Amino acid sequence: MSQAPSSDPVGAIVAAVRQGVGDAEAPVSGARLLAGGAMHDSWAATLGPPGRQRDVVVRMSPPGRDDATRARMEFAALEAMHSRGLLVPEPLYVGENEIGQTFMVMTRVPGDSNPRQLLTNPAFAGARAVLIGQLAEQLARVHMVSPADVSVPLRTPHEDEDCLLFDCDRQEEEYRAVALNAYPTVVWALRKVRRLAEQLPPRTRPLHVVYGDFRVGNLMYDEHGLTSMLDWEGVHVGEAEDDLTWFCTRVWRFNRPDLEAGGIAHREEWIQAYEKASGRTIDRRRFALWEVLGNVRWALVTMRQAKQHLDRTVPSHELAAIGRRTADTELEILRLLGQEEGSHAG
Amino acid sequence: MQDRPDATDLLEAVEDFLRTQSAAASERWMRFQLLVAANTLGIVRRELLHEDEFVRKEWSGLDRLLGAEPLPDAAGDLRAAARRRNELLCERIRAGVFDAPEAEAALVAHLLETVTDQVRITSPAAL
Repeated sequence: MSQAPSSDPVGAIVAAVRQGVGDAEAPVSGARLLAGGAMHDSWAATLGPPGRQRDVVVRMSPPGRDDATRARMEFAALEAMHSRGLLVPEPLYVGENEIGQTFMVMTRVPGDSNPRQLLTNPAFAGARAVLIGQLAEQLARVHMVSPADVSVPLRTPHEDEDCLLFDCDRQEEEYRAVALNAYPTVVWALRKVRRLAEQLPPRTRPLHVVYGDFRVGNLMYDEHGLTSMLDWEGVHVGEAEDDLTWFCTRVWRFNRPDLEAGGIAHREEWIQAYEKASGRTIDRRRFALWEVLGNVRWALVTMRQAKQHLDRTVPSHELAAIGRRTADTELEILRLLGQEEGSHAG
Repeated sequence: MQDRPDATDLLEAVEDFLRTQSAAASERWMRFQLLVAANTLGIVRRELLHEDEFVRKEWSGLDRLLGAEPLPDAAGDLRAAARRRNELLCERIRAGVFDAPEAEAALVAHLLETVTDQVRITSPAAL
């Protein structure tokens, strides 16, 4: 969707890789666009002379999008995760080029990233069988990383504030910024989550690093299972349930809405796999409230996309269409809160 | 009055065309874009068919929660007025008017009915 302002995008990628390795004459070949997105474009390139070549990915953001701070957080998170042997791309460089584009260079990990293929293609049945265990193990290790282990400060809840309430605050702020008309379901859901969260016992586990965009569409895989976890720009400090439930958000189940955990497993199976891998107990009521908030977050994304189309920031029939689908997510929010109500009554 | 094919006939024809083109497209990106476009026309078609009925239903639901108000005559006024009433509903939710169990149950019943009608237009397959 975004267009690099440069008239020579391939040249810009070659220059970015050279800047990244600090060698203005480094051999760079085969630059090609992998995927274009609203926020940035991903390019593949090969670095090094014949015989000593290395595949890299360059992620380029258009100037003025002002995500340099987020890119640095992502880079620092990848450094921390990679140094612990987690399945993430090795981060090589983050910076800006001469025309103000923020970019990041990382190693290219083999594998596919199409979530629908992962969820339905018989060739990946073996991967699906082991994936939940692998993801639980990886995520448990991500959550062992403390904020002090990351070289730049990450977004953190205010001192002593419950993470759920902090997330409600953030979402209310986002609602005020993006809602084009009143959405009583979203307003009610945020109030309800807040009221139910206040009844929960206080958490005892110390805050830790949270992936921030852990979902099936951000995974790389092959027929044996997970190969890499991508897109860490939502990384922040918080609690495990945030990641565990975002993975269950209805929109990320694609054509398997019956399998709540990413279209791969049932919710309870996923929670138990995480409990086994982490040695921590997950409070089901806290989990349920986070799952509502995950869906509210997606409802707000759809509103933001509608707004970006309507105010011509990013004119796109696709954003307009997604923007019109807020009601689908509101229905899920009402269903989840209906179940939550039932569990309290029982 | 326009002759047939009318607006919904025309939308359906273009929707079918886009869906066929999507299935035949070799490139994943184009396949997806054509499918999104076809689905969007489906939303427009269903909105033309049902919107009037659904807004009136929503209006009666809002009458029960906020107190009765006469229905505006013109369709444009009706939509604008329904938006204004939904703003008022949000203000009252925030003020805690629907916190008590009975009031909350009435609110949730209305929200569920309204959102379900919206989904009947946006993505009936999800119901």
